[in-house]
Amino acid sequence: MNTLKLVVTAIDDTVGGIRTLTLADPDGNPLPSFTPGSHIVVECGGKANAYSLTGDGNSPTAYVISVLRCADGSGGSRWIHDELALGDTVAAGPARSAFAPVLRARRHLLVAAGIGITPMVSHLRSAQTWGRDVHLLYIHRQGRGAYLDTVAELGQHVSIHTERAAFSAELLAALADQPFGTHLYVCGPASFIDDVTGAATRLGWPDSRIHLEHFGSEALDPGEPFTTRVASTGEEFVVDAGVSLLEELERRGFEVPSLCRRGVCGECRLAVSAGTIIHRDLYLTDADKEAGDAVMSCVSRGGADTLEVAL
Amino acid sequence: MRPDLELTSVPVWALNPTRPGADLSGRAWTIIAFGPHGADIAQTWIDQIASVHGESAVRLHRCDDGTQCDDGTASAIEALTADLVDARVGWRLMMAGPADACLRLRGAAGALGVADDEMTVASTDDDARTVHCVHCGAVTRAQVQLDQVLPCSSCARKLLVYHHVSRRAGTYLGFMVDAEQPAEVPS
Repeated sequence: MNTLKLVVTAIDDTVGGIRTLTLADPDGNPLPSFTPGSHIVVECGGKANAYSLTGDGNSPTAYVISVLRCADGSGGSRWIHDELALGDTVAAGPARSAFAPVLRARRHLLVAAGIGITPMVSHLRSAQTWGRDVHLLYIHRQGRGAYLDTVAELGQHVSIHTERAAFSAELLAALADQPFGTHLYVCGPASFIDDVTGAATRLGWPDSRIHLEHFGSEALDPGEPFTTRVASTGEEFVVDAGVSLLEELERRGFEVPSLCRRGVCGECRLAVSAGTIIHRDLYLTDADKEAGDAVMSCVSRGGADTLEVAL
Repeated sequence: MRPDLELTSVPVWALNPTRPGADLSGRAWTIIAFGPHGADIAQTWIDQIASVHGESAVRLHRCDDGTQCDDGTASAIEALTADLVDARVGWRLMMAGPADACLRLRGAAGALGVADDEMTVASTDDDARTVHCVHCGAVTRAQVQLDQVLPCSSCARKLLVYHHVSRRAGTYLGFMVDAEQPAEVPS
């Protein structure tokens, strides 16, 4: 993977708990363009976290990301908040697009909670450039609203809430009355995404019109031990509770590409040739999971029978 | 060699009469029924929707089954276009009739922005096909099966009906089956 070296050229801590970084090429060259809604995986103090790019993606001179400080997270966001300083260099992967606007949509309905606003800022900028019909519904905690001025400038149909009840009422009304051809984009905590997609589905939204950007999965339970066999070598071993398949394979010297290690990015996908899979990731589609021939080794686990991975 | 047809562009319902239940996940429906057989299926769908949602959100359009001409699909597309003017997300299209007419209506619906998971198709028969001649561009409508040969109505080339159907036009790809045989010397 061609890693980008990026230098921190600005830090904005105006909004409580949220640090906005401007990252640029050390020599001042333009950075690779990206599809609106893309994210980069940033190496932050030994961890790798995915952050949405907030620009419109067209020949950017800088990447701007906003990082919410997660006090009880794995430590990546704390490192960015507490350790990273102006002028420091960070390593990041190339922009990955997993939340792109559907260009033939008649309208784009963006629904964001908290720091989930970041990919929507990118969508709004691109929508403004190309004259797309875009509506934004945004809820944030009082005093914790990022990009409030920016989104107000970028969109004519922007509705910002701090009260859950008023937000829910407007959301339901919006979901119930969108012109045919509208696509829905949701970003926020997992429970928020479940609420919005549940409401949309009850109002008849088909899956193909609903697009999600997850922050990451909830903390997962350690799971049960299970047996794994590596198809190429025949090696068979037990993956203990609390240890991921990915970690066990790495410990045994297998090289498995990985990035986020929390079931989001899709990098550590392994082909499965036999055995049941307990899927716990956010990456594979329902159809993929049903097919049962691939496992996200960082979070998903095997069942009672032996899980054979095609390594 | 005949491929696994489920992996081609030919939908399962274009190969065998297929009768799925109504899509009850929507909030409003347009049902287009071609011919009397299509109307039977439409009535079943309306009953299924009524038992869950009530009938008010259903619009039924009965069209000719197009066995004689294209008029059935033309009026179906007209009705669909009119319904979409004020449709909201949550709307579904269900169509029942000969696979040939459904393929054409599906193409038109796709062009109007209807997604695959917003369409339900019931096919009442799969005997007729519209075949696009890749040599002259004409389309020929006939009672013909996949892998059979029919003469192009315009250029008279012998067209093999290939297992590819255009999502846009609903026509099967037909190509000259004897292109590599030496031409007969006219006597």
